[in-house]
Amino acid sequence: MVDNTKKIQNDTQMTRFWQSAKPYLLAVIISFSVSGILIGILGYNVPRAFQALLLKSFSSQRGFIQTLQKFIPLTLATYAFAIPFRIKFFNIGGWGQMLFGGSMVAIVGIALASFNLPAIIMIPILLLVAMAAGAFLSLIAGALKTYYNINPIISTIMLNFVAYYFVNFVATTNPWKASLGHPMTLKIPESGRLPELLPGLHMGILIVLLIIFIIHFMTNKMVLGYEINATGINQHAAKVYGINMERTLMLTFLMGGAMAGLGGGIEVMGVHHRLIEGFALTSGAQYGIFGILTALICKGNPLGVPVSALFISALLVGADAMQRTAQVPVEIVFVTQALVVLLIVVFRSTGNK
Amino acid sequence: MGQLTELISQIITYTAIYALTSIGIVIGGRTGIFNISGEGIMLTAASAGFISAYTTGSWFIGFLVGAIVGGLFGLILIALHETLEINQFILGITLVILGTGISDLLYKIIIGVQLFAPEAPPVPQISIPLLSQIPIIGTLFNQNVIVYFTYLITAAAYYFFYHTRLGLETRAIGEDPQSADVVGINVKKRRYIATIVGGMLMGMAGTYLPMIITGTYTTNIANGRGFMAIGIAIFASWRPERAFLGAFIFATIEILAFQQQLSGSDFPYQFLLMIPFISVLIIMWLFRKKVEFPASLGQAYSRE
Repeated sequence: MVDNTKKIQNDTQMTRFWQSAKPYLLAVIISFSVSGILIGILGYNVPRAFQALLLKSFSSQRGFIQTLQKFIPLTLATYAFAIPFRIKFFNIGGWGQMLFGGSMVAIVGIALASFNLPAIIMIPILLLVAMAAGAFLSLIAGALKTYYNINPIISTIMLNFVAYYFVNFVATTNPWKASLGHPMTLKIPESGRLPELLPGLHMGILIVLLIIFIIHFMTNKMVLGYEINATGINQHAAKVYGINMERTLMLTFLMGGAMAGLGGGIEVMGVHHRLIEGFALTSGAQYGIFGILTALICKGNPLGVPVSALFISALLVGADAMQRTAQVPVEIVFVTQALVVLLIVVFRSTGNK
Repeated sequence: MGQLTELISQIITYTAIYALTSIGIVIGGRTGIFNISGEGIMLTAASAGFISAYTTGSWFIGFLVGAIVGGLFGLILIALHETLEINQFILGITLVILGTGISDLLYKIIIGVQLFAPEAPPVPQISIPLLSQIPIIGTLFNQNVIVYFTYLITAAAYYFFYHTRLGLETRAIGEDPQSADVVGINVKKRRYIATIVGGMLMGMAGTYLPMIITGTYTTNIANGRGFMAIGIAIFASWRPERAFLGAFIFATIEILAFQQQLSGSDFPYQFLLMIPFISVLIIMWLFRKKVEFPASLGQAYSRE
């Protein structure tokens, strides 16, 4: 009897697991089959391409470090979308918030160069500047929504481009610009750069791990996390129970923007040590837009963010490897990723019906 | 004088990009479908349209393919939204990323790296007799075919929405789909048509970029214009004729910023380029009580 109940319980657990895993598995299988067929039709070596795409990230130390390099900005960009998405608001501005975070780190870093501050002071200052800059931009969008009911989708898209041109402005203008070569700023002082843990992997990874831990803790253990969850599930009910909707909205935008800003700042402090004109499109900041996809994969669930970001980072590294070893254009992987997300969204909503 | 005429001529040439895209957004928006995927549509249509025009040597086929690509994107958006009630904005942003990937992929596969950038076949220029002789304004009537098409679309959309019964009904869907449905308007069908037609216009605007503006396809050729068009649609209170005006203003700013950059003056041209985006925010804020929005914009409608 007892065994039986347990068995039934196990079964329902299994079906429940299957139910929740099904959209993901189906989406991944279908998108990869489609891209596999495409790769084959185009005359590339399919097994070799897939071997590079799927195994590169975890089969070599270099591949794994590359994956972590992408994981750092991507995770933060994903939080930027995921946190406001918890209460059903869209922060499309992760990209701009990253760019602004990176720009402000460069500006403040260069301004503080002459003070010769030790790293222990300089690094926290710059990290805070990055977060404040990202949060500043996202709070504009949050405030426009809260006080004037302006849709954050529109405002964050517009602010993205303001930040985009701001990067180019900083990189090409005195007193920041370097005197020679490609438009970029002077380097930030040595004490403001994130030290390397391993060759090619800077300290940003520890910061990101800390952030993941804090967000997990907040989601599960803190009142704020509870309030955000409650608001996301039912705004009206949350209001009835005295949760201040405006405050929650502003807080989620603040946190999302701070995460994105941090991501941009860490790119400058850890990778380039300066702001480069192509920062928006070539550095880790380009994942500002990808973060939206990554967040949609895990439905904006904060606990799922690192998993989904690791998955996408591994694919991005695999895509590069695939282009090198099998000459398959990387864009196939971008298309595959968008397909994965589209299909996950589709299967999820068909599953709900 | 010649310089001013040249300037206006250039602005009009750029106006077509913004006007076609934003009117495309307006048409869908009037039925309640907010298609924010313009950037992705423009990129894919730029690539696919350019490739077809280049390989066939026909500008017309280029724009036709561009329109078809845009229509397909519209179809995907509306079909997934209507049948599965997936959020329009999620679909829109996913399509932007999909389009960004597809555009470069297509170009790499079919054209690849070339020693000399392949050139688009010329698009016919037409000068209208008499009208094009008028000083300064005459330049409005000495343009490429697509600019005239844009005039036509603007006028047609205006006439349709404000002077026909069908247009009035279509606007009603955007305001209150339920009532429209009760009165016997086929909400679903109209939404499909509007989103597909809107997508086709955006696609043509995308093809316009390599065919007219740059002469060849380059990565990220839309450069945010698809997003700016969203701002124009809002600025225009979702009216096609105002969208044309907004397009003209945005095009003027883009041309002026470009000239500023060339002139080598100290004023940072980047701030000029920020103006359209900041002005969208300011306009939304200033006229927040006056900016009209189709009331059901962005919301799903199902009969149950």
